[in-house]
Amino acid sequence: MRWHKTTMGLLAGLLLLSLGQISHAADDQQARKIVDRVAQLFSGKSSIATLQMQISGENGQRDLTMKIWTQGENALVRITSPAKDAGTAILKISGDIWYYLPKVDRTIKAPSSMTMTSWMGSDFTLDDLVKESDLVRDYSLANSFEGKRGEVAVYEYTLTPKPGAVVVWGKIVLQVRQANLMPAWQGFYDEDGKLVRELTFSDYKTTGGRLMPSRLVMRSLDKPGQQTVIVYQAVAFDVPIGAETFSLPNLKR
Amino acid sequence: MSGRLLQLAWRNLWRNPRRTFIAMAAIALGYTMLLFVACLMAGLRWQMIENGTRLVLSEIQVHAPGYYPSRSIQKTVGGGKGTDVSALLGAITADSRVYAAAPRVYGYGLASASHGSSAGVALMGVAPDQEPKVTALNTLIVKGSYLTRLMPNKIVVGDKLASVIGVEVGSEIVLLTQAADGSMGNDLYTIGGIFHTGLDVMDRNLVLMPLASLQELLHLTPARVHEVGIKLYDINEATAVAAALEARLSKTLPVQVSAWPELAPDLADYVQFNHGVTLVLFFIFFLLAVIGIMNTMLMAVFERTRELGMLMALGMRPVQVIGLIMAEAAGLAAGSLVLGGALGAPLLWYLQKHGLDLGGATGEVVSVAGVVVGHLWYGRQDFSAYAQAAVGLAVTALVSALYPAWRAAHFRPTEAIRKV
Repeated sequence: MRWHKTTMGLLAGLLLLSLGQISHAADDQQARKIVDRVAQLFSGKSSIATLQMQISGENGQRDLTMKIWTQGENALVRITSPAKDAGTAILKISGDIWYYLPKVDRTIKAPSSMTMTSWMGSDFTLDDLVKESDLVRDYSLANSFEGKRGEVAVYEYTLTPKPGAVVVWGKIVLQVRQANLMPAWQGFYDEDGKLVRELTFSDYKTTGGRLMPSRLVMRSLDKPGQQTVIVYQAVAFDVPIGAETFSLPNLKR
Repeated sequence: MSGRLLQLAWRNLWRNPRRTFIAMAAIALGYTMLLFVACLMAGLRWQMIENGTRLVLSEIQVHAPGYYPSRSIQKTVGGGKGTDVSALLGAITADSRVYAAAPRVYGYGLASASHGSSAGVALMGVAPDQEPKVTALNTLIVKGSYLTRLMPNKIVVGDKLASVIGVEVGSEIVLLTQAADGSMGNDLYTIGGIFHTGLDVMDRNLVLMPLASLQELLHLTPARVHEVGIKLYDINEATAVAAALEARLSKTLPVQVSAWPELAPDLADYVQFNHGVTLVLFFIFFLLAVIGIMNTMLMAVFERTRELGMLMALGMRPVQVIGLIMAEAAGLAAGSLVLGGALGAPLLWYLQKHGLDLGGATGEVVSVAGVVVGHLWYGRQDFSAYAQAAVGLAVTALVSALYPAWRAAHFRPTEAIRKV
């Protein structure tokens, strides 16, 4: 009887232990899935989005509107207003970046490092807009927190670059709302662990058949008073886009 | 020391003119050599400072506080509204030590040739009429011509940049930059000229364009400039003039005025290092001179053992013997310096006027210690170094004479007079 009890206890312990491992693995899987979904939220297989960008800082305020086409790795951005910048277009195709400048009617190839710098004077980079980096591919994930941040219950993931990954951040922290698995806040840290930029998501709406935050606010913490607001006006996902859209002739259109 | 002792020392020196003259010639040639080295080293320092300041830096720069060294495009002199640039230039040139002043604007951008190759560049906007009075980049144009105010879309680039992106004089080039208001400044230009400085960082990165054109590209009003470059009549006054200008201009306009040692600390360190090397060379020579002079004086003393013993027997005290020998050494040194100076003067004049021909017939550009000196290495008069060398040699002569003098003072008269 006593022997029996011990065996049972041992078995139960082993069972619990392995269950724990399974659930841990499931957790990890779950985390990757959530982060990947957030990362793909604004593009999908293909997308056409119209958005408004409001840049405010020490030089006053500027409003831009643009249309973005994406399909896989390819992307096309066309500025539609203000008049001064309208017609400027950026094409990202097979890793190359091309600018079309209507003022001089020239197409120029830009070094890919330009995707990592301030875009049109905003707090976003071109990379933020057309998703060159792949969060799940380039970063290792860790569940760093679960619970309330302010009023909102969130899952918090800390992403650290994998060895050899070509990324600019030392660490990214992503908070996802438990209620709808929507991104709530994303912090970008430098190599010294200092918060450099923070991105706040809000105004969750169903657009193009998909629930997504329609308002994004990026603040650069090294430039006080400077921020960029993006408001998505219309988004269509997984729509067929002809290959000719992502071509140099179309860039000039 | 009595006048009689000096008279005696002088006579002693000329009692054996050949010995004295040979000793003097050795020291004099040493002094001439030191003058030669000091002159060439001063020439090298001067060339370094010239190269460092005359290409683009200038001798003094005026900025808005906090502009340098981060070079934020927003931080124009006078703030976001700018300032009356010609009034500022007038206020600067009101200082009689200022030779000329010129306004500048800076930016960063992408230069792209029509067939698609591009490179990141530093953009420098200068006033085509005023800048050549402050810096000499206009003299280094190898193809085409320098900027002119009448052709606002003609720009000048370095030869390395031109070959990297594949452009010639007459080629079109697009410049893309982030303008002051955050928008994408871009425009089409023509290559008007190509320069070659020999400094890779400039030949590979610098795009020079008319001030007004760069202001337009960066969406800056004509009142907004980032810098005023200043050239003085005498570069040695740079630090003093910079301080005076900052004090005077700051009364009406917040500015930061920096002289070249502050703007190019590496260059200032280099100049300091060169000074140090010159002094080390002096010191080594002094050490060699000690041995030479000591030998001469010892010989002179031993040769005259009998005579000195006689003087002491007649009542000359040891202190007076020491004084006599030291006076002889001082006389020897003074004569040597006069002789060395006389030999050196035409040499120094020649070095400054005609330079030392290093390249010979080939006329190749030669660099000494990383400084492009051209095939002629010109000297420069450095009178404080000449004086240091003279004082150093005189002190060396006296120190070298101490031991022989001490030996002489310890002769025993009774033994000394019996020496043959």
